[in-house]
Amino acid sequence: MTLAVFVVLSAVCVAAVAAMILSRNPADNALFLVVAFAALGGLFGLLDSPFAAVAQVLVYAGAIMVLFLFAVMMFDLRRLEPRSRKRVRLGLASALAALLLAELALAGIRISGLAGPAWRSAEARDMARLGRLLFTDYLYPLEISALLLMAAIAGALALAGRKDAG
Amino acid sequence: MSFLALAPILAVVAGALISLLLEAFLGRKGHELSATAAVVSLLAAGYFIVRSWNLELGYFAARLSLDPLALLLMAVFVVLGAFVILMSLAYASRRDIALGQLCGLLLIALAGLMIMVSSTDWLVVFLGLEVLSVASYALTGLRRSDPASSEAAAKYFLMGSFAGAFFVFGLAILFGTSGSMSLASGLSGGGVPSALPAGPAVGLGLIVAALFFKIAVAPFHMWAPDVYEGAPTPVAAFLTIAPKAAGLVVLLRVLAPVLGRGGTAAAVFGPVVSAAAVLTMFAGNLAALRQSSVKRLLAYSAIAHSGYLLVAVAAGDGPGLVFYLIAYLFMNAGAFAVLTALEGDDGGTATLDGLAGLGRRHPALAACLAVFLLSLAGFPPTAGFLAKFYVFSGAVAKGHVVLVVAAVLASLVSVAYYLKVIMVMYMKDAAADLTIGRDEPALWLVVFLCVFGVVQLGLWPGNLLTLIRQGSSGLF
Repeated sequence: MTLAVFVVLSAVCVAAVAAMILSRNPADNALFLVVAFAALGGLFGLLDSPFAAVAQVLVYAGAIMVLFLFAVMMFDLRRLEPRSRKRVRLGLASALAALLLAELALAGIRISGLAGPAWRSAEARDMARLGRLLFTDYLYPLEISALLLMAAIAGALALAGRKDAG
Repeated sequence: MSFLALAPILAVVAGALISLLLEAFLGRKGHELSATAAVVSLLAAGYFIVRSWNLELGYFAARLSLDPLALLLMAVFVVLGAFVILMSLAYASRRDIALGQLCGLLLIALAGLMIMVSSTDWLVVFLGLEVLSVASYALTGLRRSDPASSEAAAKYFLMGSFAGAFFVFGLAILFGTSGSMSLASGLSGGGVPSALPAGPAVGLGLIVAALFFKIAVAPFHMWAPDVYEGAPTPVAAFLTIAPKAAGLVVLLRVLAPVLGRGGTAAAVFGPVVSAAAVLTMFAGNLAALRQSSVKRLLAYSAIAHSGYLLVAVAAGDGPGLVFYLIAYLFMNAGAFAVLTALEGDDGGTATLDGLAGLGRRHPALAACLAVFLLSLAGFPPTAGFLAKFYVFSGAVAKGHVVLVVAAVLASLVSVAYYLKVIMVMYMKDAAADLTIGRDEPALWLVVFLCVFGVVQLGLWPGNLLTLIRQGSSGLF
């Protein structure tokens, strides 16, 4: 079973990366990269590291790809994008969204399942230790990242906010 | 271990929050209030910095440690921050910049700088660098009606993110191979002091490349002239001084032990730093020769000065580096302050031809600019001469003769374009009249303080040198 899942996921991952490199349309490239990231997240899940899996999906497929897509959208895509491909893209996008939702739901179920007696399992302890580490040994870097986020918000407001009110 | 160690950073962050909130709630009416709040928070930070001298405060298991080197640099940043705010008071309203946002972002950037120089933990240094960078990108693009400013911000953002990725990658390798985030431990090589383990060496190489990006060292300097030219002039003054100072101090903290210990590590990284220094000096100075915009000329001169400062890093000369940075603070901030005064209402920056006849129409301003340029070129009796003298003689004492010969040759090249500006000011007749003479007491105060600093440090550097030597005696 594990082997089958592994084979499927790695095949999807490799195929998505190949498609990403071969495809001409920047938006398609970005979406294929999301597929690759999602498959990678599944592989992490297979390796019994739920945190890495969730982080992979949330951080890469979620946050970083949104950034990529924004950057791609800033360019003028109408020239590159034939109208007939629109349906394909829509299908691809919704399939992707469903995949992400399924992964997140799976992760959520597993995490909420841990709240019971399973809380003592090894992986849960790892997560708890990670959290504790963040608020003890790594408190200073954590606080600085809060400052970093504030800098990003203030900077984004300064560059893109309303001009009169700022 | 004391919570007081956090006080300077907290003061600056609090000032940033207050400025941003005042800007958000009061809008245009809040401009002067938020600038006042920012200056007050800088004064508070300055007070805490002076108070922490010689106390060796630390916090967060020494992830934050206020050693004398960090305190000296923090003081430099506070002074620079105050200069930039004073320079922007009239400039911001002229150029339709929200002053509260400028002050807030500037203070956040200062907090990032302070975090960077006061830690010996890679993770903290990286996060401080990112705080600084994110705030700098926004500061560069603050002149929103000007396409050059937006272009500069986009360029800076792209190149900066790229460099940041290098840094993280190097950090991951370093942490993965050594299991430690400390600046020093990664390269200790398992008990053999002279050995150079491959993993940490690659990691350190990537990090050094990223820092070279941030301080605009050739061959990673291509972004710098456009960014410095496109940024609002007071912000350009900040960008040419502050990130450079912080990056060089981090480089010094990392490389001084590596280079001083000798062995394979020194044999690999020593020539790299020296070559980068020589390349930077010549790339900056030769390109500056051909510029017609004064701001761009100063941008290239800033690149060249990164090269001189790298000489101090190559020689592991901490006191020389700090003295040079302080002298550079006064002369470069002064030059940019005069440039701010020269910019007309139309938004154009001063060209070389535009300076013609300045010596006759505005003798005081021209004299100040001449002092700053002579100091940048390294003429006695200004601070620039002593700074170069200390750095170069320190490097010769460590045996870097070829490097110093190259540095002196490069400074000779630089004399040509600094003197060209002075010649145009005094010996050419004005083609068009330049409208200056606005009532800007804050700007004149900055110019005056910078002239004072340049001359004072050039003639009587004793007090500062004592302070620097006293501070760095335990470190190098």
